[in-house]
Amino acid sequence: MAAHVVRKADLKKFINAVKKKNTFLGPVSRKGDVTLAVVGLDDELVLSYSNFKLPPKTLLFPKNELISTYDDNGMVEVLPSEGEVVIFGIRPCDVLSLLHLDKVFLDEEFVDPYYQERRRNAVVVALACTEPMKTCYCTSVGGSPAGEEGADVLAFDLQDALLFEGCSEKGRAFMKTYADYLQKPTKADLASRNKISSEAPKKITPINVTGLTDKLEEHFESSLWEESAQPCLGCGVCTFTCPTCHCFGLHDEQYGQRGIRMRVHESCMFPSYSLEASGHNPRNANWERMRHRIMHKFHSTVRNFGDIFCVGCGRCIANCPVNLDIRETVAEVLHE
Amino acid sequence: MDRIEQRIREAVKDLFHKDRVDLVIGFREGSLPLKSRPVFVRSEDMADDLVWNAFCRGNLAVYLPKLFPPQPQRDEDKKPYPKIGLVAKGCDARSIIGLIKEHQVHRDNVVIIGTPCLGMVDKEKVEAVMDGDAAAQCTEGENGIFHITGISGTKKSVPGEEIFADSCLECPCPLPEEADVQIEGESRKPAAKKYEQVETFEARSSEERWQYFVDEIATCIRCYACRQACPNCYCNVCFTDQTKPRWNGPGDDLSDLMLFHIGRIFHQAGRCVECDACVHACPMGIDLRLFTRKLGRDVEELFEYVPGRPEEQPPLCVFRMDDNQDFITEP
Amino acid sequence: MSNVVVNPYLPKPVIVEKIYIENEAKDLKTFRLSFCNEEDKSSFHYLCGQFAMLSVPGAGESPIGIASSPLDPDYLEFTVKRYPTGVVTTALHGMEEGSRIGVRGPFGNCFPLDEMEGRNVVIIGGGFAMTTLRSTIRYMLNDQNRGRFKNITVVYGARSPGELLYKNELKEWEDRDDMDTYITVDKGDENWKGRVGFVPTVLRQVAPSSENATVLVCGPPIMLKFTMLPLLELGFKPESIITSLERRMSCGIGKCGRCAVGSEYVCKNGPVFSYQRISELSEKLL
Repeated sequence: MAAHVVRKADLKKFINAVKKKNTFLGPVSRKGDVTLAVVGLDDELVLSYSNFKLPPKTLLFPKNELISTYDDNGMVEVLPSEGEVVIFGIRPCDVLSLLHLDKVFLDEEFVDPYYQERRRNAVVVALACTEPMKTCYCTSVGGSPAGEEGADVLAFDLQDALLFEGCSEKGRAFMKTYADYLQKPTKADLASRNKISSEAPKKITPINVTGLTDKLEEHFESSLWEESAQPCLGCGVCTFTCPTCHCFGLHDEQYGQRGIRMRVHESCMFPSYSLEASGHNPRNANWERMRHRIMHKFHSTVRNFGDIFCVGCGRCIANCPVNLDIRETVAEVLHE
Repeated sequence: MDRIEQRIREAVKDLFHKDRVDLVIGFREGSLPLKSRPVFVRSEDMADDLVWNAFCRGNLAVYLPKLFPPQPQRDEDKKPYPKIGLVAKGCDARSIIGLIKEHQVHRDNVVIIGTPCLGMVDKEKVEAVMDGDAAAQCTEGENGIFHITGISGTKKSVPGEEIFADSCLECPCPLPEEADVQIEGESRKPAAKKYEQVETFEARSSEERWQYFVDEIATCIRCYACRQACPNCYCNVCFTDQTKPRWNGPGDDLSDLMLFHIGRIFHQAGRCVECDACVHACPMGIDLRLFTRKLGRDVEELFEYVPGRPEEQPPLCVFRMDDNQDFITEP
Repeated sequence: MSNVVVNPYLPKPVIVEKIYIENEAKDLKTFRLSFCNEEDKSSFHYLCGQFAMLSVPGAGESPIGIASSPLDPDYLEFTVKRYPTGVVTTALHGMEEGSRIGVRGPFGNCFPLDEMEGRNVVIIGGGFAMTTLRSTIRYMLNDQNRGRFKNITVVYGARSPGELLYKNELKEWEDRDDMDTYITVDKGDENWKGRVGFVPTVLRQVAPSSENATVLVCGPPIMLKFTMLPLLELGFKPESIITSLERRMSCGIGKCGRCAVGSEYVCKNGPVFSYQRISELSEKLL
């Protein structure tokens, strides 16, 4: 299905039609920030944002997920039951992160049924970037501000309209369902769309990652790790705001004779993460944990899945309380 | 600011020259606008990396407890502690005093480089001034005016008072009192009214106050940035991470989130110096300081104790016959 | 489209048939488990060296090496050490026969028994790391398998006589003439008439031939460190020295990242690794 537009004046009607059939998540204003949340009756869609503070991984891989319940009769699984969800407004870098997470959770040997169910039920309508941030570098790690990889539908904000392009079977089917609300784009619309996709990448400051995976292996014992990690507080904000960090733990909570088992996001930056009951900790020092995190992002995932898992969203850089910059660490490794 | 920066560099070089320090912790230029970041200066030549500006947020005292690990039992196994210099604002110095009182840091091994502070810029306030346009550049001009350029190109000039963090505006002690090396320069005047924000909050109804607390805490993602950024949080294993017994679940349940914060806030009572490191570190912008401030005010009223003054003992370590007992109620 | 996916996070229910206290300190127990459901039992195929997650609802899960042999038909055996700080191991040790728990697995890779065919096998165990080695020995000694392997040499040491695991089986092995068994303790007691000495020392004394031989060695990190040297001196090749690593785990299926050692997940690419592979991995493990 070719590109179609919805003029801004008609946007609310279109969204309401989608909301009638599905749960609709979009960018709305919450507590002064633009967040990806269920669009309520009183919510206006906000389109003037660079990116959400938190990554969308929690939509498929919730921070706190009920896995099973148990009582005296045994343990019973509890699979997600939310039904179809249309997610609008995810940036292409975050969409790419979902593809990376697919490699982990949908691995054929052990398919994660919880993630699989949510993934199946999600229609991803990505929104191309017009104004990348200073901290963005998606083009250096396999992405693009107008990239369609992984999106079901790719949208462009043309100021007076939204342009939609179906990228997958699911996406095209979605557009077909709402064909009544979609119009053919004008020549000006298409020119606008092309301008966005050609201009946006130019605003990004790229980084060099050529040969990084091998260099990381070579310089595992380098003193640069301990030096560069000196200011690190071990706070874990980088891992919680990263779209591809997916470390988790399984925890039980008992309520009398019954209880629940849940999956909880964890961080490899916390010392307790790898701490063994004997007291031995394979990654005892903060810098060892930081080295592990960066190796995982740029080396382990390449060896295991063929991809650098970093998508260049810049959240770890923007949120680090001591302004540790992964781009600088990468440059230091390459320079070694 | 530039002169203070130069003086800091010279003072640090002098300290290395006189072999008074093995390490100096200060700030260097950040990789993003509105950010400076901690630097660990280990020699005289590195001293020129040090900067001083209105973006030096965060409490450098947080690095100290780990630099003074417990010593082994046998004398022959003991290693001497390093001599550490710290470029300290008023709040950093108050933290260091607190850590000394709690035996986490050795006074003889710390050189407090007292640095006069005019206030630190709050990124959120800058964004508000720029109507949401993120700042690409922010420089300090004459007379405390800051010139901000947004990424869209808009330019605005505002006085520092409009964009300094609330904790700076209410700071009681911008110039460190216990400095070993005092850097010359202008600091802001200590704030007159300390607890205005708390009083305004207390005037609201109980339901409103509870709802505000719940709404703020509900956005917490348990990243523990607040705890890690705080110099007072130096416990080897935080109560929230203990498994035996499990005090607190790891989940998103509101009760779990609240228990962590209530626990941390109460652990800060009488110790928090309101440096705002926790607020600065929090990625979700939770109004943490209001709650620690409230308890700080209570401790000041009940025990006439304010953290950061070297001559006083912490109230929970001292028993006086005339201790206030008003808060002890009949069950 | 039906959800035919098997949920790898859901444990299969088992009953604790028997509990054997293995050592004097009473902090090592062997649990004999049997599946509650026939289909779970018939679909649980494991190989020597693999592990399973023992699931105790309310406490959590713990990865434990399978100590029974794949040819033991009706049950699974796990030998578990109780750590005072361990929530799950403490809960397990507090259980009685007849209790119900769960088992998730089998997970991990296995000892390379196929490659060991036609070779001499040297098995070195230290302390309570003997569990999966015991599974392997039982498997190899089974009538249908013994002929596949040539000489079998076992060196097993514990801190003291009371700490030796599987004491009855050790006696059986010593009595067999189709294998050489050397049991040792770091420190004897008034009743101990056997060998006294650390495992690396005894290994040097026994000096098994490295000709056409594979070594399986499991033990605490310090023992592994001191055993590698005599093994290399005796001429064993790094790719023929096989060990089993341990890490704290959560999912056991290569997703949560907790057990990662460099780019390898101990639960998926391990726990069995050759010494050759370990030296290639960046993190210092030995």
